[in-house]
Amino acid sequence: MNFLLSDEQTQIVDTLKSFLTGQAPVARFRPPAPQIGNSDHHLWPQLAELGYLGIALSEAAGGIGLTAAEEMLAYREFGRQLLSPAVLGLTLAVHLAAYENSDLLPELLRGRMRVGLANPLGAVTLGPTCAGTFHLMDGQDAAWILACGPAGAALLRSDAFTEIVPVAATDSAVTLGRARLTAAEPRIWVASSQWPSYQRAQLLIGAYAVGMAEATRDMAVDYAKTRQQFGKPIGSFQAIKHLCADMAIRSEAALCQSIFAALVQAEALPGAEFHSTAGKLVATGAALQNAAQNIQVHGAIGFTAEADAHVYLKRGHLMEQLWGDTRQLRESMLAAEFPG
Amino acid sequence: MDLHFSREDKLFREEARAWLHDNVIRERRPHAGEEMREFDLAWQRKQYAGGWAGVAWPKEFGGLGLSLTRQLIWHEEYARADAPDNHLCFVALNHAGPTIIARGNAAQKQLHLPQILRGEVIWCQGFSEPNAGSDLASLKTHAHVDGDDLVVNGSKIWTSHGHLSDWQELLVRTDTEAPKHKGISWVICDMKSPGITLRPIQIMTSPNQVHFVQCFYDDVRIPRSNIVGDMNDGWNVAMSTLGFERGTAQVRDQIRYAFLVEKMIRKAEERLGSDCPLSRDEIGARLAQLRADMAAARAMTYMVVSRAEAGIQDSQSSLMRAMVGETQQRARRLALDILGPYALENPEEDDWVYFYLRSFSITIAAGTAQIQRNIIGERVLGLPR
Repeated sequence: MNFLLSDEQTQIVDTLKSFLTGQAPVARFRPPAPQIGNSDHHLWPQLAELGYLGIALSEAAGGIGLTAAEEMLAYREFGRQLLSPAVLGLTLAVHLAAYENSDLLPELLRGRMRVGLANPLGAVTLGPTCAGTFHLMDGQDAAWILACGPAGAALLRSDAFTEIVPVAATDSAVTLGRARLTAAEPRIWVASSQWPSYQRAQLLIGAYAVGMAEATRDMAVDYAKTRQQFGKPIGSFQAIKHLCADMAIRSEAALCQSIFAALVQAEALPGAEFHSTAGKLVATGAALQNAAQNIQVHGAIGFTAEADAHVYLKRGHLMEQLWGDTRQLRESMLAAEFPG
Repeated sequence: MDLHFSREDKLFREEARAWLHDNVIRERRPHAGEEMREFDLAWQRKQYAGGWAGVAWPKEFGGLGLSLTRQLIWHEEYARADAPDNHLCFVALNHAGPTIIARGNAAQKQLHLPQILRGEVIWCQGFSEPNAGSDLASLKTHAHVDGDDLVVNGSKIWTSHGHLSDWQELLVRTDTEAPKHKGISWVICDMKSPGITLRPIQIMTSPNQVHFVQCFYDDVRIPRSNIVGDMNDGWNVAMSTLGFERGTAQVRDQIRYAFLVEKMIRKAEERLGSDCPLSRDEIGARLAQLRADMAAARAMTYMVVSRAEAGIQDSQSSLMRAMVGETQQRARRLALDILGPYALENPEEDDWVYFYLRSFSITIAAGTAQIQRNIIGERVLGLPR
């Protein structure tokens, strides 16, 4: 039993960190940036080349041959830099295509395909036939859309969606539209009983949220060390110090539970549903609360678009809603089998 | 990063599980008094006789000298077997004993360590004072040298089970001129010494529940040979074994609480009945979140053990302690809400009521939640003092 990163894992994380801080700095959302949509898909071919798109796929299938643990660690970095959530569509599409031995796999693994996300608006049907109303996230100009739910995951052609109505997104760093599916047949459908896509999605959303919670903790701490009032850094006041400590406690809880959930999946131990659901619940909770407290620690500047604090809050809400919000997750959490 | 246990470790787990299954004392642990002392010592004696005493103690001092991984396994199995926590043996096994192992001389080791492991003695702690709580180093209980003895005057408070103890680990000021951390000595105090009087302190759980005592020392003579480590180096001596088990014993608590949450779910389902599914009730939502947070608290404990095993020494474990304490407190509160009006009855007999009231100590004892946050802020995050 060991929760620490191996040297190899640290190296994987460091490589990704330096790539993302160079190519996707969080400051990319600051004005005068258009603040509408996300151009991170330009990074997919490079991420592919670095191996992160097939990181948990066997070498035989064209991947790197690592596990859910390394995939989780990559998503923690994606979250830290607020990479377009569409990356999740790509990762899951890779897994589905590998499971189905689909001829789409090589293109997906090269990062040449764009896969947006479909998130249910109310009750929907996902299966060999899909129907319902959805939000499409970063789906503009994407040829493919991935939808995921407790029953499984579907990769659909984007033209299967009709009545597409673009809407302004609360998280203005993504594009959002409403759309409908009517008896659409997905190009690939994999049920959860075949491959646990829903559990993997919860794990990766949770990991992404861990990175966000850590990023806002670090922003708040840095600011508390430098901002002076009453002749002292504000971080010397317990009122601020304890807010920062709370952020650190939440981030650590979220990280540790994500590691637990990832290892249970990587080693095919009992309790995958229990731990991945707990992982997403704890981590999205941490991401949202830390985002809010980071704004508070920053004071008035935290309320502006010139600071990055607000983008973490908005992305936190998006991640919390994606493929099962807190209300739904609590219901699954209550129903999940306790692994002991 | 892995959740593997070696074949040998798995065999060890089976061995521990089998022994616990056959030997755990099933009677309900008394909450107070001589009966509780007898219960805890009997269970310690049983573990000693079975060869399971002192899992974290080095072999040369009679312990098992288990690796952290095996300590973890032992505590996991201990919790799963629902073995009783012998809290009265806690100070001796986890603090006083390890301190004597680390800093005591040969005579001190020879006298005290075997008695502790064999379940013959109870130790208590004499650290806090009426005016030295979170600011422990400002303690004032004084000792001056008189021939071969120290002569102690002053008062200690919040001494758990002091009235049931044989020995006390006692911090006294032996140099009033030195800076506050530098004039303290760590001494072994015989609780039967003339000049010690105890004032029982009832706790908030129910009338007549004595958990603490206040100790008064009136010219109490303690042989100088009972000083552990050097005179005036007591602060360092006390700090040398804080966090002795490095989180492994916390896992025991984590698993106990995880099982408690499962019991709470069943009880809540029973109470709400089929007319109101738990998943649609506010209690259900709180239970679900608690189940998730309890899992995370346990994961944090695994992280603390992993860091310790890698030889990393830092204050990260305070993150775990803060999360664990508050999650446990929340569990106790929710248990009360599940009981509904029955929470108003029988605080002594009903464990859920009793431990709800007890849970208020979790965020106070051994460093308040606020002190934990100062430590996190300053030592983990590097914020200015």
